[in-house]
Amino acid sequence: MNNLEKYTKVFTETFEIPEEEVQSLKYQDIKAWDSVGHMGLVAKLEEAFDIMMETDDIIDLSSFEKGKEILAKYDVEIK
Amino acid sequence: MIEYTPQNIRMWSLLGSCGAFGTAASALPEIDKNILILTADLCYYSGLTRFKETYPDKLINVGIAEQNLIGVAAGLAKEGFNPFVTTYASFASLRCADQVKVNMGYMKLPVKLIGLTSGLSVGILGPTHMCTEDIAVMRSIPNITILSPADCTETVKCVLEAAKINSPVYIRLTGSFNNPAVYKKDYDFHLYSADTIKNGDDITIIATGSMVFNSIKAAQILEKRGLNSTVINMHTLKPLDIEIIKKSCKTKLIVTVEEHSIYGGLGAAVSETLGAINRKPKHLIIGISDEYKHAGEYKYLLEQYGLSPEQIAEKIEKSYKET
Amino acid sequence: MQNIIKKCNHAANRIRLDIIEMTYSTGSTGAHAGGSLSMAEIMSVLYCAVMKFDEKNPCKENRDRLILSKGHGVMAQYAALKHIGVLTKDDLKTFKKNGSFLYAHPSINPSIGIEFSSGSLGQGLSLGVGTALGLKIKKNFSSKVYVVLGDGECNEGQIWEAAMSASHFKLDNLVVVIDKNRLQYDGETDTILDLEPFEKKWESFGFKTLSVNGHNTQALFDAFNTDHNKQPMCIIAETIKGKGVSFMENQTKWHNCALSKEQYELAIQEIGGAL
Repeated sequence: MNNLEKYTKVFTETFEIPEEEVQSLKYQDIKAWDSVGHMGLVAKLEEAFDIMMETDDIIDLSSFEKGKEILAKYDVEIK
Repeated sequence: MIEYTPQNIRMWSLLGSCGAFGTAASALPEIDKNILILTADLCYYSGLTRFKETYPDKLINVGIAEQNLIGVAAGLAKEGFNPFVTTYASFASLRCADQVKVNMGYMKLPVKLIGLTSGLSVGILGPTHMCTEDIAVMRSIPNITILSPADCTETVKCVLEAAKINSPVYIRLTGSFNNPAVYKKDYDFHLYSADTIKNGDDITIIATGSMVFNSIKAAQILEKRGLNSTVINMHTLKPLDIEIIKKSCKTKLIVTVEEHSIYGGLGAAVSETLGAINRKPKHLIIGISDEYKHAGEYKYLLEQYGLSPEQIAEKIEKSYKET
Repeated sequence: MQNIIKKCNHAANRIRLDIIEMTYSTGSTGAHAGGSLSMAEIMSVLYCAVMKFDEKNPCKENRDRLILSKGHGVMAQYAALKHIGVLTKDDLKTFKKNGSFLYAHPSINPSIGIEFSSGSLGQGLSLGVGTALGLKIKKNFSSKVYVVLGDGECNEGQIWEAAMSASHFKLDNLVVVIDKNRLQYDGETDTILDLEPFEKKWESFGFKTLSVNGHNTQALFDAFNTDHNKQPMCIIAETIKGKGVSFMENQTKWHNCALSKEQYELAIQEIGGAL
């Protein structure tokens, strides 16, 4: 599984939504991505990519797209 | 069902103590169908949004009226419900001190009171929202069990345990969002028995709440300087684990560390116990000095009060050398 | 119907006699006679004509709950409980004595119908709101909750927090009775902290509100039987502090008092004459 697949899978599993809905997803677009869902997402991303995210980045992670940029900071290239 | 998976533990840490409470709350109705949660306009802040969606009939918001909050909860407790109540620790303990005394202390009605953001975590909002007095107030009121979890996982455990107690409980929540984890995996939690996290022969550090993590860090610093410490998590502040304090008398120095006033809190409770013991070591109380400092961010305020791991280690080393 | 009213009037006088007996038995310590005497009819009508209350089983689930928020008036409640047979004459003799379960302010004791402790004013209505909410959640739609407040007690902010929540939660199983005797510890209520317009206040807080003569048992009985669909009710009972004893009536100094032998005898004579 490449990083993009892994990254996408974290989103689909955390929020229990199909892959096609993930691409344009933003924080609070759906019920599952509330503040609790958000921290669940971060915990899963950290585990999947073996990183520890900074507080500012956790707050900045406002969409599926934005998350890719943030992970790049941790040398995780989502392609 | 609550599962203590690494991911959940990390998620609770990220959410902080309020969010961890909210997550635990969602599991409560499965434990006891008589669970109700009451709040004074802090449903969202207490991490209860999901609870409210799942159990709309079990969430009672009384508005910004904390005194009424305690009384309503007490009335419900008397009718056989198991009410959990959330408000800022400062309002829970100080604004409602008389309501807590009469309803929980005197009448022993089994209200479970959650003091949110105790200590300095919301210090940026100023001293009105900080709470460095609650242990002192609560400890002087009879019949109330006082819990002070060390991290978010322990918060979850304390909440679940409190649901099984048929008497009043106060749970003091410290730390903030992205709270460091003392317990990174599941562990056995025993109410009333303090947890020894690490053993060392020179010094005993007894800490509570957020200061358990900082004390572990301080012990690591001290270890590099050749001083070995036992670190104890005193998660139950009342009734106090007297036995573990007696055992601590074997070391040359006992240190208590708390994000609470140096008066009336853990330090006072431990020294009250030590007072009756013949041969005992020196006791250093580390906590919030007797003053309200200027508002500031959590980390900044901890440093202002000398509660960072480095500062704690400094104070302990200095005191140890003077023994 | 007339029989019930007669019974209530009789009970009110018996209650007054016992209040005087209890007060006198405290010797020079004294007791809260004034604010107990003003409540005699409120208690007699509640216990003898309005409340579902089984004196043989005071904890029965489908009982009505009485919460005495103005705890210092508890002599009237003890006397009423004696009148219906829950307490005995000997029990009353222990009032305010060391070790007695009959405290100067009520101490929680469901087995004798004391639902909650009180004494710290302003807290009973919140307990009433919690109790009434609890009954609804339990689907106990037959029990009602009666909370007795003092007018001076309504100085307390918590009363108004609780009042707001009572109407917010549409507690039509909750009835507040205010013993409006117009006197508080330091003097007349309107000179200490004016409560007027009192009736309008309660109305505006969402209560069906009635003002009645609090010594007229028929008027009280009718008020308790007023329909208050989907909202709590507040009965403002206009009373006289110290009612029934001429030298105590409307006198602030009889808020908490000790009785001399002469005063005791005069009081008994006056109340006894009304029996």
